[in-house]
Amino acid sequence: MPTPPAAPSSPPSPSSSAAPSDPDSDERPDTSSAAAGAEVADRIRYLDEVMAEIDAEVRRRRASGDLPAGLERELDELFLEFSPVGLQGRARLRETLSLVDGSAYVDIAVPTASNKAVGSYIKRAVRKGLGWYMNFIVAQIVKFAWSVSRMFHVVVDHIEDLETAVEAHRSPDLPVAVVPASSDGAAWWAPAATEALAGVRDRVVVADCGDASLVELLLAAGVDAYGIDPSDLALEPALDRGVDVRAEGLLDHLDVVADEALGGIVLTGSVQWLRPNERERLLDLVSTRLAVDGALVLHSASPGAWAASAPAVVRDLAPGHPLHPETWAHLLGGRGFAVTATVAGGDDRRLTHVGEATPDAGTVNAAIDAINDLLLGPTEYLVVATRER
Amino acid sequence: MTAVHQFVPALLPRDATGDHTRALRDALRAAGWESDIYVEAAHDELQDEATYFEEYPSRARPGDVLLYQLGTSSPVAEFLLGRHEPLVLDYHNVTPESYYEGWEEHTAAKVALAREQVAALAPHAVLGIADSAFNARELEELGCRATAVVPILVDDDVVHGAVDAAERDRLAADHGDATVLLFVGRISPNKSHERLVEALWVYRRLYDPSARLHLVGPTVTPSYAEAVFAFADELGLGDAVRHAEGLTKAELAAWYEDGDVFVCLSEHEGFCIPLLEAMGAGTPIVALDAGAVGETLADAGILLAEARPATVAAAVDRIRRDDDLAAWLADAGRRRLEDFAAATTRQRFVDVLGGVVGREPVVV
Repeated sequence: MPTPPAAPSSPPSPSSSAAPSDPDSDERPDTSSAAAGAEVADRIRYLDEVMAEIDAEVRRRRASGDLPAGLERELDELFLEFSPVGLQGRARLRETLSLVDGSAYVDIAVPTASNKAVGSYIKRAVRKGLGWYMNFIVAQIVKFAWSVSRMFHVVVDHIEDLETAVEAHRSPDLPVAVVPASSDGAAWWAPAATEALAGVRDRVVVADCGDASLVELLLAAGVDAYGIDPSDLALEPALDRGVDVRAEGLLDHLDVVADEALGGIVLTGSVQWLRPNERERLLDLVSTRLAVDGALVLHSASPGAWAASAPAVVRDLAPGHPLHPETWAHLLGGRGFAVTATVAGGDDRRLTHVGEATPDAGTVNAAIDAINDLLLGPTEYLVVATRER
Repeated sequence: MTAVHQFVPALLPRDATGDHTRALRDALRAAGWESDIYVEAAHDELQDEATYFEEYPSRARPGDVLLYQLGTSSPVAEFLLGRHEPLVLDYHNVTPESYYEGWEEHTAAKVALAREQVAALAPHAVLGIADSAFNARELEELGCRATAVVPILVDDDVVHGAVDAAERDRLAADHGDATVLLFVGRISPNKSHERLVEALWVYRRLYDPSARLHLVGPTVTPSYAEAVFAFADELGLGDAVRHAEGLTKAELAAWYEDGDVFVCLSEHEGFCIPLLEAMGAGTPIVALDAGAVGETLADAGILLAEARPATVAAAVDRIRRDDDLAAWLADAGRRRLEDFAAATTRQRFVDVLGGVVGREPVVV
């Protein structure tokens, strides 16, 4: 347990929050002497040590099985059962519509009870005296409210018809169980990812981490990394080894992470087959959860290789498909990222040239080049980007 | 005589904005300026201290500066947009409507309108005063040309006031040695009460099966409050979660003193006065680093990057197991509180407003 630093003899220097952004404004007294600075640094160091102990305790509890990997997600899902926010699609529409119906009736029978004896008498007199007038007004309000309610019913019915039509074209979700668990620590891109994340100060999350071998590689390199994966089963080996991993999907996890809390994000696995709207949401989340100057490492199969070699069930049921690295660079550039490296790798399936002695070697080799360019080449790529703003 | 008049949608007693507005008026008058309060509505207790805002034109004088206490939607905003006096915004933040969508659509619409009004007013203001750098950034992004960060005025008796000893003893007798997690704030989706319940559940499972969660604050979003308490019941925490509202200042001080750890997991806060109240009571703080919480708390508490119940529970346990840490945090809180001393803040307001008196209004 770290020992707290001694209580300071003077108040701490105020945080930046107390400083005016108007350059014309008066400055606060200067308390940032060397001694005060060292004192503040001591306090921050102490709190960092305490926080590190808290993180270690959480990891220990997870590893010991006190905290099953999916427990926190289950708690979140349980709360949603009690909330109208948790109602999706039709259920939410109907729930809201019932609220409209419930409030469309205006009761003219004003309560006349009162704590004071004379109060009740006066209220009854007012109600009786104004009843004819209020009746007239309320009848029109109720008529209007029911017309609006009726209109909403028509709109909801129409929306449900449309949803039924759209549903017929929707592909089912890709079952987590059919996606092979990853073991990225041994992958060709692991050294490049480790190098890109070395020196990152804040925490680094590895998405779809599988057996968490990449997480361990990063930890060994001094990076404060942890993993997430939607498959409890895939995480079991990592949990057995006491690695900090959680059974969560990428979007759900980033949703609850504080802004700029992460120093690095590693995206692989499902990032390749997100739906377009999910990809947009992911980019929004990544560009806010990652600290400025934080590193993003994105690994993906190239589109051609994926179509040829991804597991058949994944290819058939995946809602989206991998993008080209240039497309990721374009999308990330629009979110304030600068791409610092794009590396091709994986199996190189290119055909080699025939020897010069071969008849029509020039023509054949030109054809081979065309085939290589169009169909073959490295099967995967890695994009490394830095958040600039 | 120089005049800085304040406009506020509603002037209410025992309300952060109402108390701030009245305290600021007193500070401005003490500085030798004229200062009245114009409102859309005022509580019966404060009728004598407020004037209906539409009466201002008949009282306007050259050189007046108008200061708008901005925290909700109001016709006052439209009124001020039509005035030609220099306008200063005192921005207390507006919760984004997304927090209310699905829970209370009319509240979502109301705060959406408020944010539209902030966007319309910001470019017209000669100065935007914000409780926090977080709020100042919002004003700047909306086109406010100059901003200054001055904390909300919190009366010293709010953070150093008398404690209702009988209430404190009653609470202590009620829960005995059980750990008490405390949060004070209105029950509203942006305050993430469900995360507090989750943290309590994990804390009881791992550390102290008898632990309690004390929630103090008005229920402003009933559907959300119902969901939170139903959630607690489902987890078997019905008796472990206590809720109180409408407390006097002395009773509130007792609840603060009774709490072992003040836990704030709000996702959106423009300043968070309860942090100051907890500091005043010497209650150690664990808080999610979201909105302005980090800058208000500074290094006077344990700031969490995420509101995971396991992390929150471990942080509470860390404080409970280490008396030195608890004492250090309590001491750090008291020291941090000195940065928000009412006298200092009052002077800051006078200094900052002194810089805009006599300025021409901004023509957009």
